[in-house]
Amino acid sequence: MSEVLANLSDALAGAVEAAGPSIVRVEARRRLPASGIVWSADGVIVTAHHVVEEDENIGIGLSDGRTVTASLAGRDPTTDIAVLRAQVSGLRPAAWAGAESLKVGHLALALGRPGQTVMATLGIVSALKKDWQTPAGGQFDYYLQTDALMYPGFSGGPLVDAFGKFLGMNSSALLRGISLAVPTGTLQRVVQVLLTHGRVRRGYLGVSAQAVRLPGGLTNQLGQETGLLLGSVEANSPAERGGLFMGDTIVALDGQPVRHLDDLLALLTGDRVDKPVAVRIVRGGQVIDVKVVVGEQA
Amino acid sequence: MVGELSVDLANVVENVHRSLVQVRNGRRGAGAGTIWHERGLIVTNAHVVGRGPVRVELPDGRVLPAQIMAQDPERDLAALRVDAENLPTIQLTDSRAVRPGQWVTAVGHPFGVQGAATSGIVIGMGKEWPEMPRTRHDWLVVGLHMRPGHSGGPLVDAHGRLVGINTMINGPDVGLAIPVHVVVEFLKQALL
Repeated sequence: MSEVLANLSDALAGAVEAAGPSIVRVEARRRLPASGIVWSADGVIVTAHHVVEEDENIGIGLSDGRTVTASLAGRDPTTDIAVLRAQVSGLRPAAWAGAESLKVGHLALALGRPGQTVMATLGIVSALKKDWQTPAGGQFDYYLQTDALMYPGFSGGPLVDAFGKFLGMNSSALLRGISLAVPTGTLQRVVQVLLTHGRVRRGYLGVSAQAVRLPGGLTNQLGQETGLLLGSVEANSPAERGGLFMGDTIVALDGQPVRHLDDLLALLTGDRVDKPVAVRIVRGGQVIDVKVVVGEQA
Repeated sequence: MVGELSVDLANVVENVHRSLVQVRNGRRGAGAGTIWHERGLIVTNAHVVGRGPVRVELPDGRVLPAQIMAQDPERDLAALRVDAENLPTIQLTDSRAVRPGQWVTAVGHPFGVQGAATSGIVIGMGKEWPEMPRTRHDWLVVGLHMRPGHSGGPLVDAHGRLVGINTMINGPDVGLAIPVHVVVEFLKQALL
């Protein structure tokens, strides 16, 4: 018998073992513990927002068997990321894989530590797509789906490649019935913001809106078929101060077309907070630009 | 390389078949069993044996009455004896050294399909499992597609060595097996 199957078996077990020291248990809710990833040696742990139900006295189970305490540093529900600070140092931070060579069909292991030991399920990278917006409006630098089973307690743990390098953080809460990994770049961006500000800032205008069809002539002129009709403009809001009225139809913001609510959500990013942006509207059949200073969502 | 992988897997299953039996407790093909000792000792699940009487079909086609030597519902194990000699056995491995990620294959008679195999990796081993009451014994949890009829059959590693005895299905993608070290404990206590 050739050794190929035995080699595969050893390689997979080896990948799990290599990743193990950077995976912790996160006890932040009443029922089943979840998993977390060691972000830095001085105790920053990344986990899934939806498994963190307490702010303080979060138990972190380390790979060496010790349990230490952590508290919540910040969370972002839109990307399902939470950051914890544990009272410990000398941890082994996760080794991240570059995404450049990642392809659909590559082997992937979902790992978790809901108990004492690290556990693994095997699958492949099922789908990969650049630039994805979560249903809650969070921005992912890419969409990474796997068919590896998310075993109970695996949320917050990593998805790793065949070498045990970390590809992202497991989340079963972003899309129903689909196992996703929050990709590395997104984690880096959001964790940085959460460590500094405790939350991800989102832009805010102070309007309610719905998509409507634009009149024929304007469709050709603007190159889009729909815009967002403002149903209300909140008093003293950035929209009102900028001069937007109920009945205006937003067709672009900061040079980017706005056709649906998703478009607007995607454009109201944290980095636009306190910035003046051109809001292109249709008012009384005319297309005009109104300058609005984007506010911050509370 | 991928071709060799397939050949290896096929060889593992073929070798395992030599030690795989069918256990019948009055209904047709109640489950599987694993030949443990060449002088007729067969291990299967307690739930496969039930109250008996049982008969065992050997790989060579002989159907023999089996004596129930011991049964332990807590570990879900049963030891049977048939009147036969020189039966092929599977080499045991140290199941305490099993690592998550290791490749394993479960063989049995799922839905009555004789000798069918399912393969995947070890998810973990231990006593505490989500959504299961805490037990006194270790369980091997494996990511493969166990189905009714795999019970009592062998779970082997990438070398074809026995790692455990298939015992329970935990959803379509997860199976449970009794590790070899738990079977050894059971046999030591049961067969004095």
